[in-house]
This record gives sequence, C-alpha cells and structure tokens, in this order.
Amino acid sequence: MKIIVAIKQVPERDAQVRIDSSGKWIEESEVQYAMNESDAYALEEALQLKEKHSGEVVVVSAGPERVGTTIREALAKGADRAIHIDCSDLAQRDALGSARLLAEAIRGENADLVLTGLQSDDLGYGQTGVILAELLGVPHATLILHVEKTDAGLKVKRELEAGWFQEIELPLPAALTIQSGGNKLRYATLMGIKKAKTKEMRVVSAADLGAAATPVATLQSIELPKKQRSTQIIEGDAKAAAATLVEKLKFEVRVL
Amino acid sequence: MTSLSATLAEPQHFSLPEKLLFFLLLFASIWLFWRRFGPILEKILKSRKDPDFRLAPIGRRIWDFFTEVICQVKVIQQRPLPGLAHAFVFWGFCAFALVTLNHAAVGFGVGFLDPAAWYGRVYFYLAAAFAIACAIGIAGLFIRRFFVRPRWLGKKVSNESGVIAGLIFLLMVTYLAAFFTTDAAPAARLLWWIHTLTLLVFLPLIPHTKHLHLVLSPATIFLKRDGFSHIPPLVGDEDFGLVAGKDITQLVSLQAYSCVECGRCSEHCPATNTGKELNPKEIILGMRGYLNGPGPASEQAILAAEDGTAYVSQKAVFQCTTCGSCEFQCPVGIQHLPIMVGLRRGAVNTGTWEDDYGAKLFNQLERGSNALGISAIERDKFIQKQELPLFDGTQEYCLWLGCMGGYDPKGRDIVAAFARVMQHLGTSFGVLKKEKCTGDPVRRLGNDLVFQTLAEENLKNLAQNKVKNIISICPHCVRTIQEDWKAYGTPPEIEHHTEFMARFADRLQPIQSQEKIVFHDPCYLGRNRNVYDQPRQLVQITGTLIEAPRHRERSFCCGAGGGLAFLGEETGDRVSHTRAQELVATGAQTVATACPFCNTMFRDALGEMNGTAPQLLDVAQLIARNLDS
Repeated sequence: MKIIVAIKQVPERDAQVRIDSSGKWIEESEVQYAMNESDAYALEEALQLKEKHSGEVVVVSAGPERVGTTIREALAKGADRAIHIDCSDLAQRDALGSARLLAEAIRGENADLVLTGLQSDDLGYGQTGVILAELLGVPHATLILHVEKTDAGLKVKRELEAGWFQEIELPLPAALTIQSGGNKLRYATLMGIKKAKTKEMRVVSAADLGAAATPVATLQSIELPKKQRSTQIIEGDAKAAAATLVEKLKFEVRVL
Repeated sequence: MTSLSATLAEPQHFSLPEKLLFFLLLFASIWLFWRRFGPILEKILKSRKDPDFRLAPIGRRIWDFFTEVICQVKVIQQRPLPGLAHAFVFWGFCAFALVTLNHAAVGFGVGFLDPAAWYGRVYFYLAAAFAIACAIGIAGLFIRRFFVRPRWLGKKVSNESGVIAGLIFLLMVTYLAAFFTTDAAPAARLLWWIHTLTLLVFLPLIPHTKHLHLVLSPATIFLKRDGFSHIPPLVGDEDFGLVAGKDITQLVSLQAYSCVECGRCSEHCPATNTGKELNPKEIILGMRGYLNGPGPASEQAILAAEDGTAYVSQKAVFQCTTCGSCEFQCPVGIQHLPIMVGLRRGAVNTGTWEDDYGAKLFNQLERGSNALGISAIERDKFIQKQELPLFDGTQEYCLWLGCMGGYDPKGRDIVAAFARVMQHLGTSFGVLKKEKCTGDPVRRLGNDLVFQTLAEENLKNLAQNKVKNIISICPHCVRTIQEDWKAYGTPPEIEHHTEFMARFADRLQPIQSQEKIVFHDPCYLGRNRNVYDQPRQLVQITGTLIEAPRHRERSFCCGAGGGLAFLGEETGDRVSHTRAQELVATGAQTVATACPFCNTMFRDALGEMNGTAPQLLDVAQLIARNLDS
C-alpha cells in the first residue's frame, strides 16, 4: 500500500507570537517550528499501516527551507522518502491554494491512501485535506481516529460531537483527515535520524507545479486573542441562584 | 613443640623423579589455568577499544589503586567485619607472593630465601603473622558464607567458594606447620608436597570461579573510567550504545569478568530492595554471559535476541533510578551506570524500547521546553508573579530554575525561598527569559537525540546571555550541566544552592531550636557530587540534625532518578515509600531535602502515610524560615 502523508510545519505550541507589520501574519523569525500535531498522528497512522500491510510511506510538505527539519523528523520516524514543495507564500494561500500545491505534487504518485491532519495548528482552516481529496478525485472521510484495511478498502472510525463515533467503509484510493490522539506517537531515534540522511528528499518549486496561488478567500488581518475577565455576582436564594448559574453557564459561557 | 626460634623447614635434595613430577604438575596446572584464562583475556582484548580512554590523570589512578586495592579501604569501610576478613586474606596473599615463588624454587633446588639467614627469618616470620591473619580471615568468611548466609550472596551457596576457602586455609596451615619441624624430617617433605599440590589445584580454579577477581580486579580498579557515573560519548555513525557484542568495550568486558558476586550492589539497590526485577549484579553477570556466549564481535542483541533469549532483561534495565549506589559500593571497580545507561541508549537510540510514558516524555521534550509537558508561558507567569529579576549579564549569578523550579508548585516554593535567601545576602542574580530542560531524564533514559538537541540549545542560550555562574536548586540540573553537557561544549560554572548558602553560613541567622530534622541525601548531590557536609551545616543552623540509618554515601534513593519520575507505576513496593518510612521512623519532626525531585516523591509518600507525617522542607526553605522570624 502506498501512503502519502501531507505534513505542515507550524509554530511551536509554546511559541510567543507577535504580529508582523503587515498585520496579516506573525513575525516568523521569532518562533520555533514543529510538526503540526494532527499531522504527526497522520504520520503515525501511516507508519502503523505500513508495518501491518507493507508498502511505502511518502511525506509531502510545503513551505520554505526550514520545513526540511520537520521532513527529516518524519523520515527519521520511518517514512521512506519525501517531497518538499519549496514555497514562501503558504500563509497567504487559502486552503484551496495549499491543496492545489499538494495535489499537483503528488498526483503522479498514484497513492492508495492520502492522509493528513484534520487541521493546522496555525491557520486552522480544516479544509485542506478535503479539498485535496476533491482535487485528486478520491473519496474522503474526516476526523478519523482509527483505520483498518479490509478486502474492499477501508473501515474507519470517525469522531462525532458529544462523544459519538461513526464507523464507515470506503474504497481505495481514498483520502482521510486524521484526528489527534487515536494512536500513541512513536519517538524519533538517533538511528532514525542517521538513516534519514540517506533517504530521498525531492525538492520541487511551487512555480514548477503550476498551481495558481490566486486565492478565493483572502486573509484580512490577524489578532491575538483578547484576555477577558468579568465577574458577575448572582443574587437571590441558593435555589434560584443555582438555576441562574446553570442558565448562564449553558447559554452565556457555553461550557455546559 | 619447638620454641619461637624455629625456622621454616624446607626439604632438601629432591630426587630427579620428584623434580620431574613437580615440573609436570606445575606445567599441567599452569596449562589448565591458561586454557580458561587465555580465552577470557582474548575476549577482553578483542572487545572494542574505549574511545575516550585516557590514562591521565595517573595520580588519581595510583591513589585509587593504593586505597582500594592495597589498603582495601572500600572493602572494609562499607562492610567492616567481612571487609577486614577479606583484607587479611588479601594482605596474606601479598605477603605470600615471595614465599610461594621461593617455595616453587625450592622444588628445583634454587630457593633464594634462606630460612636460616636473618632476612629469611624476618620475612618468613612476617609471612607467618600474615598467614595466621589470613587463616582466621578465610575461616571467618567461610562461616559467614555457609552458616550466617547473608541474602546478598545469593540464594544458592556456591560450593566452589567452600573448596577455595578450604584450599586457602590448607595453604596457610601447611606453611605454619613447617615451622614446627626440621628440614630433614619426612614431615617437612610431606608438608612441602601438600602445600605444593594445594597451590597447583588452586591456580586453575581461579579463572573458573569468581576468584578470577584475584587476577583482574587490581587492573579493573586501576583502569576504571574517570568520573562517577560517566557516560562515554558515542563515536561514528554506527554507535548507538550497547546494542550488541560489537559495542562492548574493553573496559566493560574487563569489568564484567571482574565481578566477584559479593552482592554489595544488590544490597544497596533501590530496585532490588523494593521487589523489582532489576538486580545490578545480574546485569553484570548477564554481560559476562553474553561475552562467554555470542562474544565481543557478535551482532546479536544483548537485551533481546530474535529467538527471544535475552542475556540482560530490558525491563530490569529500565527500572534503574541511576542512584549510583552500585557503582559507589562496588569493591572491584565495576562502573554500573555506563553499562546500565549504555544498554538503555542501545534500546532507545534504535527504537526497540517501547513504553508509552517514555515516548510521551521524549515527544514532549522534542517539541516543548520542559519534562513536565507544561506550556512555557506558565514559567513566564511564575517569574512575573514572584518578581524574579531577569538575567541581563550584569548580575553575578544566573539562577537556573529547571523544570521543577519553573513549573512544579513545590519546586517554585523552593525557588522563592532561595531567592529570598539570596536577596538577604545581597547577591545579585537573575533568571533566564527562556530555559529548556537540561535533558537529565532523557540522558539517563538513553535518548541521545533529544539530549544533544537540548544540551546544544541551552549552551547556545547561555552563551548568548553571557552567563558565567549558575546556581540551581536541582542536583540533577547541576550534574547534567556540569558533566553531561561537556560532550557538546563548555558549560558555565555551576553550583548547588546548598553549596552557595553554606559559604555564607555565618551570615544566615541561626535559631536555637530543638526541632529534630532528618536530612535526606539526594543521590545526585551526594554520590554524584560529594556534597554531604554543606546541607548538614545549614540544617544545624535551624534545628537539631538527626541521621537516617542510611545516610551520606549510603543514602537510599527517593525513586525519581534516571527518568523514572516520568515513567509509569512501579512494580513491587514504591521506592519513595520505603525511604519515607525510614525517614519517618527516625522520629524527626521535619524531613529536609535538597532536591525538588526527592521533595515531590516524599510529598506523595508522606501524604499516603497513616498518622501525622513530619513536615517536608527544602534546606532553602529552612533557611528562609529563619529570615522571616
């Protein structure tokens, strides 16, 4: 089974971000980068499928030169080879623009399965994976926690809301967006890193792929979340106060 | 009975057949010795060369040889009675070297120590005194092994040890008896022959039994690696730690063959003592078994072969807290930690160790900044709330928070208390804006990839901030920064906060208090750094110091070291509970620690105890408490 995993490099979870002068993106030089969390789970799923059914795992990632470290991490964990789409305008692309890049880069691979994280930790569109499936013309399923290969294709477990799960079957080839937490992530090893040095990493430029960057959606501005603290004192007797509290938690704060 | 003026009787004029027989027997004995010892020596020499071995500093080696071999200091100090008995046997053997040479020479008619000459008389009397001591010593050791039977010698009594003890006793008795006869008497000839035959039987037994240490351990002690718990660098692209025979170095081989199976390592091991699989002695004997089997050039895995046989248990290897008791106790110079961590490196660097908690810790430290997996923003918040000054290059000291000091609530209390002490002393200090884990847990768990990244990032950060001197509340940080980072650069000077405070002890307000305080020696402060007196000096400022049964060099681990604080539930008893009970049993009102990991382990252990638990404070908190009042 040939599996392609699309991986994005995103600012580290702890990164203290500052908005740049354009107001449309963050100061990239000030943060450290890591593999997008749900993409790490997509990679883990791919590696486990390969271990069970043999085949090949190819990772693809778009971004500037720094993306190389994340690609090498994926190779170190067990991916067989990689495609690096060299581009510096990823933040300006919408989900369609990113998906086009990925689709053109992997079209010739004729993979059995394309995996990616369900959304990126930076932009969080949650659409790149499904648009990619559409561009490749394969069926897709989202929010996948578990993948099982069957004779007919795949049986997958999706996470729904409120603790519900759905099990569906779909034929191959297919594309899945993977939810975090379905598997336990393996760790990168020294031996893996050394082996990764000898693995193929093909670099293609965005221009060569001919994928248009003309966005259909444009990012106007970004801002840091505002901290809000407000205190309300609920008057009245305990019973009435409790009812008011529940109502406020349900409909104002929406945590119940 | 003859008077004391008697001389040692030596038979004169051996007949040719006698000489021939002696020659043949001597040859056979040496041949039997070599037939076993030769291959062992070959295995040691054919092992991989130690990449970082240096004979320097030679002074340290000579001193270790003098104290540990010649004076038997460690043997006696850590087990006084059997140690002394052993020392008598050892010194007896030393004195006997010349006696034995002369004894064999007599057989060929070329004896060189004339028993009648004044020097011969002096030497043989001296040797007789040693022979008496040696006979008493070996008899004592025999009684201990076969009648007292301490459990650390193993469940099975080794009969060969009994035979060896008998032979040694016979050697001494036949020597002494020769003083009570004359050269011409048939008894002298008989004694000579009994003594000779005993020697000739004894010699080939040496390499077949743990008595191999007679030959090897002086070399092992002289050649052992510099530094305590030193982890050697990996060399080249194929070195991942102790994976297979090809990775076993000459020192590891030499040490494995030197083990005398005395069980001192097991006696002090926190894992062995709490019902876990790990027994350091078995690890060393497992390495020896591997060398005897697949051998030093083999590609077969040490921890688990494809057919399922393992010479050393992986599970056991990952139960080690790296407290270093085994390495400290070992009387024959075995350095357990390079082996233990080496085996872990082999398993982790090649990905054969599968552990959910371990993988989680590694992933956390690959991405995040601390071993607790908490957002770095929480550290910033703590620094702001505590109003800790940021290090800007002008202050004298950089206060290194570490994961526990920066993220753990109790660790933060210790930092806050210590900061108050520094402010009281008027010492200028600052904390770094950003800090990453020193890599201690991943270093001890054998993850060289993550450790190297953390060490290099931290070194870069410290250099950029122009840090010259560091103080830390955590002995693990201190050890890792000072020793382990050396593989990747030059770390700044660092000291533990108890060392710092002890230097200013006269400026810290003492309190005349009857409060009984028991001090727990953290492994990484005590055995790793030899800091025992400074924290005690500080405790005495604030109360009455009392000692737990196991203290200083013999202190018993809290169970957190070696990355184990981050792994799952222990099997058997909890190490922390065993130690906490020992500390509580001293009747102390306060348990004082000097390590945030010990602190967190005892916090949990004391919390689960019945009755009123003593209060638990870091030495810095004890001192800060005085400043408040």
